Amino acid sequence: MFGLEAIAHNNGWTIAVTGAGIVFTGLATLSFVISQLHKVVSLLDRPPKATVEVVIEEKIAIWEPPDCPNDADLAVKLYQPLIDELPPEFDLADLYILAKKYHLPHPHLSIRCLQDAGKLKSLGEGIFRFHA
Amino acid sequence: MDLILQFLHNTGFFLADYRNLIMIVIGSFFVYLAIHKNYEPLLLLPIGFGVILGNIPFFKGFGIGIYEANSVLHYLYFGVTSGVYPSIIFLGLGAMTDFSFLLANPKLMLLGAAAQMGIFFTYLCALALGFTAPEASSIGIIGGADGPTSIFLTAKLAPHLIGPIAIAAYSYMALIPIIQPPIMLLLTSKEERLIRMPNMREVSRKEIIIFPVVGMVLCTFLAPASIPLLGPFFFGNILKESGVVDRLANTARTAIIDTATILVGLTVGASTQGDVFLNAKSVGIFLLGAVAFSIATASGILFAKFMNLFLKNKINPLLGAAGVSAVPGSAREVHMMGQREDRTNFLLMHAVACNSSGVIGSAVCAGILWSFLIG
Repeated sequence: MFGLEAIAHNNGWTIAVTGAGIVFTGLATLSFVISQLHKVVSLLDRPPKATVEVVIEEKIAIWEPPDCPNDADLAVKLYQPLIDELPPEFDLADLYILAKKYHLPHPHLSIRCLQDAGKLKSLGEGIFRFHA
Repeated sequence: MDLILQFLHNTGFFLADYRNLIMIVIGSFFVYLAIHKNYEPLLLLPIGFGVILGNIPFFKGFGIGIYEANSVLHYLYFGVTSGVYPSIIFLGLGAMTDFSFLLANPKLMLLGAAAQMGIFFTYLCALALGFTAPEASSIGIIGGADGPTSIFLTAKLAPHLIGPIAIAAYSYMALIPIIQPPIMLLLTSKEERLIRMPNMREVSRKEIIIFPVVGMVLCTFLAPASIPLLGPFFFGNILKESGVVDRLANTARTAIIDTATILVGLTVGASTQGDVFLNAKSVGIFLLGAVAFSIATASGILFAKFMNLFLKNKINPLLGAAGVSAVPGSAREVHMMGQREDRTNFLLMHAVACNSSGVIGSAVCAGILWSFLIG
């Protein structure tokens, strides 16, 4: 069988037209999908909505020396670093200045406490020596 | 003396048939084209040498020839008849293909679809010439200009025609520089050939990675019979684009595809034994193959011209010729044709987009034809 008769007998027209139609539709659909792909990707890439973040400021813990000028042990603990900055025999006024500089509470009372506890020994003429 | 006479009777000189000699000359011509003219040497050299190899006369029944069970060539040929080699080649092709050009300009995919019309036109021609429907489908697919797809479909529908169809498909792929330019010149004006394509947008990595998945799902849902081709193809592509398995992608696009190409070329060539190959059907297949390839080229170009009727930014109609899936030969030819008119007009990337669309299109066509005729 040859010619148009053979084509019709083998269902050729239908297969050719349907096949061509399917291929074209398929690739046109794929073409449309990939033309939209960058939009989908940009949606996925969009940064999250800006949110108002409430920043809770943490209270900075500032160490405050305990307020107890009558406790000799505590006074020694507080004043030892200051005395270390001074020469072994020092003027009591210098210790007082340092205590003010470092904002230690009640320097007068604390120094008095140290004297009463025998931690500061007078060498005369306002000069003292520390005895831990 | 008897022993010597017996030996002489078993030599190729005694057993030679004129058809073997003709095929050896054809094989040598292919080798010449591959080496001297540099026409698609990766294909024509293995095929040409295979043609010579397959036409060495031998004493039948010793398990030597490609059609004899238990011969080495027969086992190697199994990859062709089972459709294994085409799938492996598609894996490598996928790992080589860059879809970013297509993603940047998706409407070029329509040119890949249009170029497949050659397949269906040739299918009708083959039916009219008296071929059966499965034979006609296998001949028509030559119009896709895709060797592996042609082999795959023929192996499924008309295995007895694998030799001539594979040779025709690969020959026409190799003859692109001779077949396509006259058709391009005939169907386009100088002004059309001078059309410049706009710069492509930059395609994101995410799009490139998503495409193989979307493409495979969509195409294989439409034509599940194309899974053996498009599955490996898109898999190879995601290996390449994912960037996390460079070793696998590199192996797929080098060692794997090279091995498959060598074996497919050699065995397809060897399958063209003169006594089996040289007949009226093979001549008819060769002629129809030329028709298929020419119509495919022409329909791509004409469809691009048709699209230009509606598009604000015109497409260079030469790109339609790259809608066939001969990668990268037809894209290169389109680019060169464009440069012949204007040396500053670069069409290569756009043509590659059409080319990659053509690969998908011809595989889908194969799937559809197989589905229609499998029952």
